[in-house]
Amino acid sequence: MKKVLLAAIQVALLMGFSELMNRLAAWTHLPLPGSILGIFVLFLLLQLRIVKLEWIELGATWLLAELLLFFIPAAVGVMNYIPLLEQDGIRILAVVMLSTLIVMTSSGLLAGALSRRKERQPS
Amino acid sequence: MINQAVTYLTATLVIYYAAKWLYRKYPRVYLSPLLVTPAILVALLLLTHASYDHYNEGGVWLSKLLQPATVAFAVPLHKNLQTLKKHAGEIVASVLFGSLMAMLSSALLARVMHLNGELASSLVPRSVTTPIAMNVSQMIGGVPTITAVFVIMTGLLGAMMGPSVVKLLRIEGDIARGVLFGTSAHGTGTSKAFELNPLTGTISSISMILAALFTLVAAPVLLGMLG
Repeated sequence: MKKVLLAAIQVALLMGFSELMNRLAAWTHLPLPGSILGIFVLFLLLQLRIVKLEWIELGATWLLAELLLFFIPAAVGVMNYIPLLEQDGIRILAVVMLSTLIVMTSSGLLAGALSRRKERQPS
Repeated sequence: MINQAVTYLTATLVIYYAAKWLYRKYPRVYLSPLLVTPAILVALLLLTHASYDHYNEGGVWLSKLLQPATVAFAVPLHKNLQTLKKHAGEIVASVLFGSLMAMLSSALLARVMHLNGELASSLVPRSVTTPIAMNVSQMIGGVPTITAVFVIMTGLLGAMMGPSVVKLLRIEGDIARGVLFGTSAHGTGTSKAFELNPLTGTISSISMILAALFTLVAAPVLLGMLG
């Protein structure tokens, strides 16, 4: 029970922090969303030990474990585009599927080949 | 309308955890909770003639957690810095190559399928995280909200197809698997990668960030060249 409460407080902390990063991104006119800026800033704070890992680790672990859940409402939002999908849906699906396969094949095979080569020639 | 919001939120949670339990018992691609949960919710909303805006009064509470969850990627990044440093070269090279292929193949396949120019431009940034994809879409003459739909489709399909592709192509090692998920299917793929193991997830989150930054810079240039 104590652990759940602690995780909830840490999630709230991370929410506050990401809101702060949104403001910072808007204020500095960076072409980056607050969440990406937030990764960099939090990473730096952790590296410099300004933020201690145990302050946020429990909350962060929970957020990452339940990540799929947070995409559900956005996925339900596709229902607003049913007319578009009725008209071009099959062709769009074909593009997205084929292109995703191409990306997986090219990035996965290249990364695999490069890391195997590195293993064979230890520096 | 607080009641309604709570009802939709509860329904989402119940259906999601039920779908997750079902998927653990019968791990089939078409039973993926990421597919089953929205499908059931959309069916329920259509049957009850409820609008998405109504649903989202509850749903938005989950979407709000997406931001702190993305920021939380800093934690595994921090913990695995040594491994990442050791493999920086392979990761960067293969993510850039993969992202380039994502933009090129989306643009060319859209042309082959005779989709109109606006849809084609909206498809180009579909493999990166939503806010950046929408931003890029705006820059290259796409429609940002339609791009958001394509980003979600890519995430769902990527998370569903990823494990089979890994098996089929015999992609081995956390580096290659992480790169594959993060480059092809952004945050949704990354959450699948975290299910494999924490290091794969970390590599995937790095790949997702790199792919987003590269697409932001390269898409306008690339589209200019394709004409």
